[in-house]
Amino acid sequence: MDYASFKVEEFCKDTDFIHWVISPTEESNQFWNSFIALHPNKSKEINIATEYIKTFHFQEFEPTINDLTNLKKRILEDIDSPIVVVNWWSRPAYWATAAVVLMVFSFGIFLWNQKPTSYQTAYGEVQKISLPDGSIVTLNANSTLKLAPNMKNEAMREVWLDGEAYFDIAKLNGVKFIVHTREAQVEVLGTEFNVSTRRKQTKVILHEGKVKLHTSNAQPILMKPGDMATVSEKIQPIQLKMVQPDQYDVWRESVVVLDDRTISEIVEMMEDTYGIVIQFENPRLLSKKLTGKLSLKSTDDFIENLSIILDVEVEKTEKGYVFK
Amino acid sequence: MTKDKLTPSEHAALWDNFRNGSKEAFSQLYELFAADLYRYGYNLIRNKQLVEDCLHELFIHLHAHRSKLGPTDNIRFYMYRSLRRRLTDSITKLNKFDSDDYVFDNAEFMIEPRESQMIEEQTLERQKQMVIAELNKLPKRQKEILYLVYMKGFTYQEAAEAMDITMKSVYNTVNVALTTLKGYLKDTFKKQGLLLVLLFLQYFFKN
Repeated sequence: MDYASFKVEEFCKDTDFIHWVISPTEESNQFWNSFIALHPNKSKEINIATEYIKTFHFQEFEPTINDLTNLKKRILEDIDSPIVVVNWWSRPAYWATAAVVLMVFSFGIFLWNQKPTSYQTAYGEVQKISLPDGSIVTLNANSTLKLAPNMKNEAMREVWLDGEAYFDIAKLNGVKFIVHTREAQVEVLGTEFNVSTRRKQTKVILHEGKVKLHTSNAQPILMKPGDMATVSEKIQPIQLKMVQPDQYDVWRESVVVLDDRTISEIVEMMEDTYGIVIQFENPRLLSKKLTGKLSLKSTDDFIENLSIILDVEVEKTEKGYVFK
Repeated sequence: MTKDKLTPSEHAALWDNFRNGSKEAFSQLYELFAADLYRYGYNLIRNKQLVEDCLHELFIHLHAHRSKLGPTDNIRFYMYRSLRRRLTDSITKLNKFDSDDYVFDNAEFMIEPRESQMIEEQTLERQKQMVIAELNKLPKRQKEILYLVYMKGFTYQEAAEAMDITMKSVYNTVNVALTTLKGYLKDTFKKQGLLLVLLFLQYFFKN
């Protein structure tokens, strides 16, 4: 390798050089020290390259000695326990038949128990779900909710949400209930709240009770009734603001409250929940704010009412509507 | 940082001992690689239980099939790749989300803390903080590539194989990352030539 002609970037890309920087050995120390002695004009480049490489440093979780010894013990125990091989072919055939029947049966039960239950709603469809633990979830349109198996017997109740849902959690002797989204985990004891994971952000709106919100890179926060928390990769840290919670869950009654929300927020909501694309020829309208309530029971009526309020012509297209 | 400093021939010898049924070699494998695998596993999936279960399965599997395993002179790579596959498979089996969305989702670059009171060094640290914020915005696959190449000392080929991607994507990622670094650090480094010489000397005295 002709290191004498190397530039910073080339050093940074050279595997041998990287190895020397991140875990020097006697051998590599010797090689690079004598190289620098021979080519003192390269020392600046080498030094910058070293700094560059060291910048690629990740946070790492250090397992404790306990973690490691326990795991080792577990592995060695499982290795030492002899596996009994049953020579079923040497036994009466009914044994084998019985075993196979039992296996198939118990495997079936196992699958039946383990299979995570999953609910999915189509555009425009709202579904009310009673969970095994007594909690009630209203799943908004175009959303998915997955349940952990054995919700009733576990020490922790867990669900996974993609989309939007309203949770009314049953209290269960202090057993936690956790809603996982891509951006956050909502931990509760018994309460009512709304979670939405649209547009690469998770919004939690708390109606009553207490909720603890966990994210990967911030301290967990405790929410009070009326709080709306927004978590996204782009906006850090967690945004907290007081809102009127009722306005955010009226989707359950197919009504949209326009108060204090821009037209562009409403347009996004229509696309997320109904799959209807609304375009505006005049983009200035998008930042306009309206007040009032509109029924969403019929999409055509909703669009017509909106066009009357905004005082613009509307045209139906293949995919949705265009406001002129 | 990596702790095993075995040469390829030592790797091969240890592996062969293990394949021939040496209990001691198996134990040594665990002592040498378990902690490092644990760290990698936890950066892939933030779930201690799952990482431990997969490590447990991996070692049991290795032990049970030791006589059928092929030779290798790079045990670490071999085990990293197996652990990654086991973890992604178990996530897919759990069927929560697509494993791709989950893997390496929480790992973050960070600044190695240095004890220094020098103003110039503090400026450099601040500059680095900006680069790191920038690097953290990279897609997680790219971050994982950088993790394997620059923290675990994988060759480009090994990183590509471990992640089931092409060598080209590894090259491209390294290029993107280095350009980001250059853009942010170039001026600072020019201005602080003297400081760098100091750091450099420190570095050599340490070794």
